[in-house]
Amino acid sequence: MYDLIIIGGGPGGVAAGVYAARKKIKTALITDGFGGQSLVSNGIENWIGTKSISGYDLAKSLEEHLRAQQGIDIVDDDLVTSVAKRDDGTFLVTTKKGKTVETKYILLTSGSRRKRLGVPGEDQFDGKGVVFCTTCDAPLFGGKTVAVVGGGNSALEGVEDLLQYASKIYLFVRSEVLRGDPVTQEKVKSHPQVEILWNSVIEEIHGGEGSQFVTGVKYKDVKTGESKDLPLDGVFVEIGLVPNSDFVKDLVQLNDIGHVVVDHKTQQTSCPGIWAAGDVSDVLYDQNNISVGDAIKATLNIYDKIKKS
Amino acid sequence: MAKVTIYSTPTCVYCKMAKEFFAKNNVAYEDHNVASDLKAREEMVNKSHQLGVPVIDIDNNIIIGFDQRTIEGLLGLGKAAAPAA
Repeated sequence: MYDLIIIGGGPGGVAAGVYAARKKIKTALITDGFGGQSLVSNGIENWIGTKSISGYDLAKSLEEHLRAQQGIDIVDDDLVTSVAKRDDGTFLVTTKKGKTVETKYILLTSGSRRKRLGVPGEDQFDGKGVVFCTTCDAPLFGGKTVAVVGGGNSALEGVEDLLQYASKIYLFVRSEVLRGDPVTQEKVKSHPQVEILWNSVIEEIHGGEGSQFVTGVKYKDVKTGESKDLPLDGVFVEIGLVPNSDFVKDLVQLNDIGHVVVDHKTQQTSCPGIWAAGDVSDVLYDQNNISVGDAIKATLNIYDKIKKS
Repeated sequence: MAKVTIYSTPTCVYCKMAKEFFAKNNVAYEDHNVASDLKAREEMVNKSHQLGVPVIDIDNNIIIGFDQRTIEGLLGLGKAAAPAA
């Protein structure tokens, strides 16, 4: 029986792991990889204490810091798929590989994953023109016409990544406004390679006859209700995130979007014995630095609880 | 020894992880940068029917993405499960 199981290996999970180990809390951390969503980022310029670091190097340094701790069990190739609360108040955690682990307390730092469009053709053409890792695959679209879907920072950065490769970029924005950093907004708005399609929603992604790759999309102008076809070679989906809270949805209170509701002073959830921090929680700002702070707050609160019991 | 080829882009972190994995396990591999090598890109698309990296070829078994368990299986490394191919 563990005192604490930390679920997730992003900045929050690792911070909690380091603190838990130093407090000698009997802890296991379960993740399928380190670094969280920033892993695929080319450059992170706001990780405090480091002028600029790639997502990959950040993940490495987090992992290294965690592995330097004594007395924490680290599982780095598995995912938690369910959590059950038992009558005595302890928990049974089950993983994808079929492992079960008992624990008194749980800290959720499972972050979030990319939202998908949910339109016909998206799954069929995944990896065949539909792209979910812009930094990875942008270089394969040299001289091509592509669409980026989304109006936030990740979409704007996707456009920036593509500018040096694609000859024409359509930015599909479902409303009339861009969110995201003003500096990037201006750059994208004024760039001759970029055409913004406001109030536009992709309805279908299709391939041509005999083509196994994307050849175009059908999209709707939500203002006029008119549907149009647009030939293109790639669709880069950057429409935001869904919290990884499915496996605790019956145990803790979630908000409309699926974020775990927490007491922001202690990070406790509605279920005694479960804490949450970082992007999986209903924190106002999804930031690496904030996830770290909140996860530490949670760990110290758990430590207080252990001392009292 | 298995013939290992990876098709990658310089900006792809999963490609980097795969190459690091090969290095750590002393697996010799050939690396093609499909961002600049158009011939290799065509080869990758023909082999995998994918326009996404990494694509890894281990003795003509095509692996899409950095699927460590499948790679371990094909290379007979460690405690891995049986080859998926």
